[in-house]
Amino acid sequence: MNIKEYISTGKLEAYALGELSMTEMKEVENNLAKYPELRMEFAQVEQTLEAFMMEAAVAPRKELKDRILARAEDSKKVKVIPLNSKSSYWHWRWVAAASIVITLISSFLAYDYRDKWLKTTIAMNQIIDQNQQIAQNYNEVNQKLDKIEQDFAVIESTSFTKVILNGTEHAPTAFASIYWNADSQETYLSIQSLKEISRDNQFQLWAIVEGKPVDMGVFDGQFSGLLKMKNIAAAQAFAITIEPRGGKKSPTMETMQVIGTLAKG
Amino acid sequence: MVLRLKSRQKDALSYLYDHYSGALYGAILRIIIKEEVAEETLQDVFLKIWDNIDSYDPAKGKLFTWMLNIARNQAIDKTRSKEISKGKKTDDIDNLVNRIDRNAYSELFVESIGLNEVLAGLPHDQKFVVEYLYLKGYTQSELAEEFAIPLGTIKTRLRMALIELRTLLKVN
Repeated sequence: MNIKEYISTGKLEAYALGELSMTEMKEVENNLAKYPELRMEFAQVEQTLEAFMMEAAVAPRKELKDRILARAEDSKKVKVIPLNSKSSYWHWRWVAAASIVITLISSFLAYDYRDKWLKTTIAMNQIIDQNQQIAQNYNEVNQKLDKIEQDFAVIESTSFTKVILNGTEHAPTAFASIYWNADSQETYLSIQSLKEISRDNQFQLWAIVEGKPVDMGVFDGQFSGLLKMKNIAAAQAFAITIEPRGGKKSPTMETMQVIGTLAKG
Repeated sequence: MVLRLKSRQKDALSYLYDHYSGALYGAILRIIIKEEVAEETLQDVFLKIWDNIDSYDPAKGKLFTWMLNIARNQAIDKTRSKEISKGKKTDDIDNLVNRIDRNAYSELFVESIGLNEVLAGLPHDQKFVVEYLYLKGYTQSELAEEFAIPLGTIKTRLRMALIELRTLLKVN
């Protein structure tokens, strides 16, 4: 390369003013690195430029120096800002991470609590059901107890007369009892043994008053304890027949199961 | 010096300011004209030097050349941003007015300092190129376009001018 020719193009001066394109700049820098002669020439260009600009210098106002140095000092602090903003960036990252963790934990807890709540509700409903069942059972037992107590009071009472109803020739094993209170006219029936009958039929209790049968009510075969029947003011005997469901006005003598007469006195 | 600057010693910046603020301010003021804007630009330039000192490579040239280019670019950016902010339609007129302003003021500066003597030592066409390129912040291509001078001519004229200036300014 002809150094003198290269210098004469004025490229070094343009380079010193930063007026070359990127490729030209690279080219000049490469050549400067390669050729000491070029470097010496460039040093002179720079020195001339500096000397000329020094000659053209205009002193800025005196106050400006302190202001600029103070600002430069500040800019050191300002330089800390990227660090700060970085750390605040990290700070926010931590906040974001923490909130995600908190969200996950709360979601899990919410799910867990909801699950537990559902299970608890189910369990509670079961307990309420059981409680109702127990209460119902208790009531039933209580009612049974009341009944037994009432029955027992009837049986034990001296006011009631017990009438033993024995089986007839139609039903030799049948057996029942009547508790009758002459004063209150109350009549209770107790079954010890009666045969099973179809659902179309019912048992009917009769009182025999002065030779005539009087309806005392119908009943199905299965019950325990005493069954309150119709009141009757006086009777000489009681009998039970099997009649069509609902009973009849007069007894069917062929189906009489038991009969018993009131002991006199 | 550069090492002290690079380690961000405040007295290094102070030294730098004492030595070069005049030359840099001269370059800025001739481009910007308005003193308050030029002062603001000088401040920006020193902050830029201070902040970017790490990117200065002594192998590629003198510190002054580096700083001068920062100052020139900052000043040119400032005038351009002012022109741009006025909107595109009036751009040409503003540009022209701005240039006229700059010419008028620059004459004053040149006369006000002893630089006149140096410039007087140059042939007229060389003086013109040096004034516009070194003092008025014109780029070579701007100058070529505005005065219809071939770019190559401007380059060689500047080259010749610098050779003259070497002797005038007693650069070895």
